[in-house]
Amino acid sequence: MRRLSLRALGPTLLGILAFLGVLAAVAGWMPLVLLTLVINLLIFAALAYSINFITGLTGYVSFGHVLFMAVGGYGLAYGVGTLHWHPVAGVALGALVSLALALGIGAVTLRFRGVYFAIASQVTALAGFYIVLEIQELGGGQGIVLNVGFEPIAWFYTIWVILAIEVGITYWITHGRLGYGIRSIRADEDAAKTLGVHAAALKLVLFAISGLFAGAAGGVYYWQGSGIFPNDAFSLTFSLIMLAMIVIGGLGTLLGPLFGALAVYLSSQYFLTVLIGFEFVIIGLLVIVIALFLPEGIVGTLRKYVPELRGLIE
Amino acid sequence: MKRALAVSNVHKSFGGVRAVRGVSLALEEGHVLGLIGPNGSGKTTLLNLIAGLAKPSKGEITLDGRRIDGLAPHRIVAAGIAKTHQIPRPFLSMTGRENVAVAALYGSNETRDLPEAMETAGRVLGLVGLAGKEDVASSSLTVQQRKRLEFARVLATGARILLLDEIFAGLSQDELRDAVALFARLQGELGFGALVVEHVMRAVLTVSQHVVVMEEGSKIAEGPPQEVVQNPAVIEAYLGPEAGRAPP
Repeated sequence: MRRLSLRALGPTLLGILAFLGVLAAVAGWMPLVLLTLVINLLIFAALAYSINFITGLTGYVSFGHVLFMAVGGYGLAYGVGTLHWHPVAGVALGALVSLALALGIGAVTLRFRGVYFAIASQVTALAGFYIVLEIQELGGGQGIVLNVGFEPIAWFYTIWVILAIEVGITYWITHGRLGYGIRSIRADEDAAKTLGVHAAALKLVLFAISGLFAGAAGGVYYWQGSGIFPNDAFSLTFSLIMLAMIVIGGLGTLLGPLFGALAVYLSSQYFLTVLIGFEFVIIGLLVIVIALFLPEGIVGTLRKYVPELRGLIE
Repeated sequence: MKRALAVSNVHKSFGGVRAVRGVSLALEEGHVLGLIGPNGSGKTTLLNLIAGLAKPSKGEITLDGRRIDGLAPHRIVAAGIAKTHQIPRPFLSMTGRENVAVAALYGSNETRDLPEAMETAGRVLGLVGLAGKEDVASSSLTVQQRKRLEFARVLATGARILLLDEIFAGLSQDELRDAVALFARLQGELGFGALVVEHVMRAVLTVSQHVVVMEEGSKIAEGPPQEVVQNPAVIEAYLGPEAGRAPP
């Protein structure tokens, strides 16, 4: 066994952990406005890391990822509203249902490639919406309003833990044996198979992890919103924002989802104050510019043009 | 002699096209079997059937007596058979070493330790004459180098039977001579068995102990290389019916 040293973890992981550590230390002293902003930023980052597992790492574009976020939200709402559980238990319930759903859906849809997978994933999100509308226990078209307290500190630490685990798993995957298998799938799936990579199993595991964390982040999001409404919860906008964050930040990287979340969330909050709806125009333009001129996102571009950063960010 | 790989009466149809029609062949442990035939004779399809990329419509394929036809490709690799691609398919986003490391990590050796896989990859790249290309992006390799990278990858899986699809094609005369010498040397040193599909007659006749000739999906001849090239059916398949007939 090699000894585990902090230095061996690399500056990117240490940097992210330091950032999260500082946030955790000062959360209790933050003014409420700032704390709310930070909580939402962390939720967006958690969503970005979740879609990064499947779309960033394998290149399978999950266009309907909002499904797992919504299922996480409905799991929370059912756990808290009907079963009278503690919200954190509700978040866990939503995450686990999302995981199970991702396993079931992924076993079928991951057989498709490219645009066919993207369409199939969008179809599953649409189907989820219409199914929820018919389930009275989930509030049908009315949604569920929760009678939960205003607990910003609890929201903060819950999403903080979720995000920290995601970052840890992302690091573990990208820096180990699995990372090579996954990169080979993204580069050439058929060639990867002929070298012994069990592509179907690897993709399914990643999709399941992705569903688990999208569900967990969704749970916190709707806990904070104290309710869930199907029209909003299944909105294509969330899927697009998740994709936008990792495209902007850098697909499949360790730091990219965090950068992408910062860029998308902060600009959306800023432009929201300028003109409602305008923030989506800005995010859309940002994605187009990045995709056209900086296809490797913020992280890839920095690594390419600033050689000094090459060993520092990943 | 031990028959490691046996293909018995294998058929494969794609819709109405009967690509492989009842072919049988056997590869002995550590031997090189050449598989030749004109374009479209079903050679590559047969390799794909063995590699698990397609399922035979009929017939069976065994490794050491155990059925392997219809297994998924990664299980065929785990069983010790690995195939190169006719047109090299390096993972373009990776370096030479990383390409080979994937094979070491997921092949039949299943090296779980990353540094060890990297070391194996470096060693195998050296064996195939790609020393110095370890940390070069595989997208910048020449065709000849990509062919060697393909070869390095199958070696690094730890396979004892290699399915080599036209590894000698598209090379210049000098490159071909080097490649044949390299192959013969490594085969002698490492002792792997190989099924070599090839257009370049001279290469395949040099490296093989035994040759199977296919035409239109069927086996039309087999035997030692020098015997096979004298066979009228083979000459006819390659050069047309006139050439196969004895001069009047």
